[in-house]
Amino acid sequence: MLRNLQTKAAKSPVGSIVLCLLLLSIVSLTLLYSSLHQGGELKDQAIFYKQIMWLAFAWICFIGFSFLNYRLWFDFAIIFYILNILLLIAVEFFGKSALGAQRWLDIGGFSFQPSEVSKITTIFILARLFSSPESKGLWRGVLVPFGLVILNVALIAKQPDLGTALILVFLFFALGFVSSLRKRYLVILLLVALIASPFAWNHLKSYQKKRLIVFLNPNVEPLGAGYTIIQSKIAIGSGRICGKGFLSGTQNQFNFLPERHTDFIFTVLAEEWGLLGSLFLLLIYFYIFNKIIDIVNYLKDPFARLISFGIAFLFFLHVFINIGMTLGILPVVGLPLLFLSYGGTHLIVSFILLGVFANIYRQ
Amino acid sequence: MNYDHSIKLFRRICAVGFFILAGSLFYYQVINGNYYLRRAKNNYVRVIPSRSIRGTIFDRNNQPLAYDRAAFNIAVIPYQIRDNKDFLFYNIARYLKCDTRKLSRNYNRRFQNLFSPIDVILDIDKATAFKIRGYFGEDVIIDPQPQRYYPYGLACSHILGYVKEAAAFYENLKQYGYTPYERVGFSGIEQYYDSYLRGEDGGDLIEVNSKGKIVGFLGNQNAQRGADISLTVDYRIQEIAYRALEGRRGTLILMNSKNGEILSLVSFPAYDPNNFIKGKDVEQYLTGTNKPMHNRAVQSAYPLGSTFKPIVATAALGEEKISPSTTFMCTGEMRLGNTQFRCEKEHGPENLYQGLAHSCNVYFYNLGLLVGRDKICEWAARFGLNTPTNIDLPYEKKGIIPTQNFLSGRQWYRGDTLNLSIGQGYTESSPMEIMCAINVFATGGYLVKPRLLKKIGTSPSEEIRITDIGVAVRTLEIVKKALIDVVNSDDGTARILKPLSLDIAGKTGTAQAKGGSHGWFVGFFPYNAPQYTICIFLENAGSSYEALKVAHTFLEKLKEQKLL
Repeated sequence: MLRNLQTKAAKSPVGSIVLCLLLLSIVSLTLLYSSLHQGGELKDQAIFYKQIMWLAFAWICFIGFSFLNYRLWFDFAIIFYILNILLLIAVEFFGKSALGAQRWLDIGGFSFQPSEVSKITTIFILARLFSSPESKGLWRGVLVPFGLVILNVALIAKQPDLGTALILVFLFFALGFVSSLRKRYLVILLLVALIASPFAWNHLKSYQKKRLIVFLNPNVEPLGAGYTIIQSKIAIGSGRICGKGFLSGTQNQFNFLPERHTDFIFTVLAEEWGLLGSLFLLLIYFYIFNKIIDIVNYLKDPFARLISFGIAFLFFLHVFINIGMTLGILPVVGLPLLFLSYGGTHLIVSFILLGVFANIYRQ
Repeated sequence: MNYDHSIKLFRRICAVGFFILAGSLFYYQVINGNYYLRRAKNNYVRVIPSRSIRGTIFDRNNQPLAYDRAAFNIAVIPYQIRDNKDFLFYNIARYLKCDTRKLSRNYNRRFQNLFSPIDVILDIDKATAFKIRGYFGEDVIIDPQPQRYYPYGLACSHILGYVKEAAAFYENLKQYGYTPYERVGFSGIEQYYDSYLRGEDGGDLIEVNSKGKIVGFLGNQNAQRGADISLTVDYRIQEIAYRALEGRRGTLILMNSKNGEILSLVSFPAYDPNNFIKGKDVEQYLTGTNKPMHNRAVQSAYPLGSTFKPIVATAALGEEKISPSTTFMCTGEMRLGNTQFRCEKEHGPENLYQGLAHSCNVYFYNLGLLVGRDKICEWAARFGLNTPTNIDLPYEKKGIIPTQNFLSGRQWYRGDTLNLSIGQGYTESSPMEIMCAINVFATGGYLVKPRLLKKIGTSPSEEIRITDIGVAVRTLEIVKKALIDVVNSDDGTARILKPLSLDIAGKTGTAQAKGGSHGWFVGFFPYNAPQYTICIFLENAGSSYEALKVAHTFLEKLKEQKLL
């Protein structure tokens, strides 16, 4: 029976992705437990149990969305987009802040981040706009989608949530390139975006500027903005090949590493499980990414193709930017690690996206 | 199709992305793994040093001359005050009414890593330290450290030396196992016996978290107290010697004639070693034109002048060139070719006793010509004038005598022999050396090694090193009698010491030198059974008379206080 299930899972790409998800769920809870563990006891138990709850809910979403026909999202894409924009505006007025950013909205006792939801709505609306046959021209094919994305990006950047905003811009260009869009328009847009970036610099909050400066040279402020990067590098490097073992990471357990259960959860893994653990995780991510791209090549429906590709690319960006920043090879922009960072909205959004992909595959 | 091509491209880009991550991980965790592991350990493993207590230095009566007392420092942990450092420093400075920059300077100079405490305020009293702790709470730490204290700082400076953190000379010292913050003796006994005095630092090896809170204990090593040292010096005599010498430039040494125990050794100008501990006014010591750091008793050789004459006399007797009654005529000068060699005055006919008592140059010119340079040098060497005395003080300088070796082909004239025979020219020695040489007359033929150490810990260092220089006792007795006359005959050059009725024998000396003649007096007493040997040297004092005045003040005071 079990073997039967295994072989079946191995044959079907979705089955293997489900296995990967299960594995990641376990890894997620293990790392969270370790990052909350201090001085021989579990501090902040509430966070741990909340995450278990979020995980359970995320799995329900995954299963639910895998049964919902993905063509629905083609019809609802625009409505979702508008709803999301309204939510982002609501954040602007009623949102609550943490760590200097106003990203959260309280709904029925739970707080969630509309900026995370933007990832879904952006993929949907771009997939719809880029896949419709009439979207060949400059106006409908490039400027309208770009305008919609930029509106979204502007609202998110204002919170400020630089990481997510950047990811949406990347998604626009990536989906634009793989759709049949005229590429020179995109090149022109890219140039415009590059020229505009100095102006964007002026609008960055001082802490964001500092982060970018510190990224270039973490030793500028070893006690201030550079501290996290330095401690993260020390933690990762000191894990060496085999790691220091579960609950034995000194950087983690002795509280030298800030933000370790959210954006810097990878650091905990690298310190306690070493190169072997880190590479194992990278392999899982790479496997999921590859499976999705494999299937994209079989898909006939352009809408489905674009959604699937968007999901794969979004996942890649998350992994690359997050791990890159913990290693100090990318600036600290505040982006959660796919499936592993603590945070409900992000987890659920990622599971929903995989649910949508599972449905596409079933179709 | 267009689609597939673009997707393939993206797939490759992403694969490269994953590869970059894997490569970076390999770089950090494998190539630089050990480096980061060390840094991680630096983060959480902390050595709380417990400084060793340095051995106390006592005088011969168990009076402490140098000891450690607790100094209270105020320390901060950089990580803990990272957000309010400037504010905190400003407030502490205001509280103590000192300069904020002093705190910042200490902070920057002593910074080791984010989590090691740094002493920002040094050496305040206990009550203030606890007040600050009460006022600023967890942000500050009271850090008591042993601190060296010298109760008789100025008087004993050249004997004791001082201590300093090894950091400044760390490159040279680390091969001997010193750590940068350990105290090391500089000059004097502190340097000479540093390996006994220093003890061994210990410490607790602990694990701390980012707040500096102790979360684990890895082990400890107790600090080992350094050994106590007792010196042969008597602090009372030392103080009197210092007073007697105060305001002049020179040195005064009093030694036990028989066993070489130094009872007092003062060099002036002196310095206060406590200033080196507190780090104040040190500049003036190091650059002062009078060289207060210089121990004139052992670290320099000076022209001997007439104090060399007893040795020339011994040589002449020993070589059987004269008998005590051999008489030479002093006309106030001796002519050699066109050059005139002078005497103080016309002494008329002088025999050995008169020649020494009057310090007659002409008499010794004649001896010099009879004995010759080589023999004079040979005898001077017997009296140890070109070998260090090996007293237990660092940087001892040995004297020079114009041997064939020393001259290495330089021309030597008969006139030079005349100069040599009255202790001028290439005849220099340290006050310690000439004192030991004259002491030979007191001991009846033995060179006694001078020493400052009485005992280390509880084991006495009673080792007395004496060397028989192989001169007939009869010869020495003759010269000794002459030395007695120097003080006790009515026209002896040191007759002003006679009223002390201490039965002193000795020899004065006025040595010509740049910047004014040096004044000497070297002697011993009581001459029938010598117990004390004394040497006074005054740099550029004009004449030996100044040295005799110092000797008189010093010995009179000792007698008054019944210290002899």
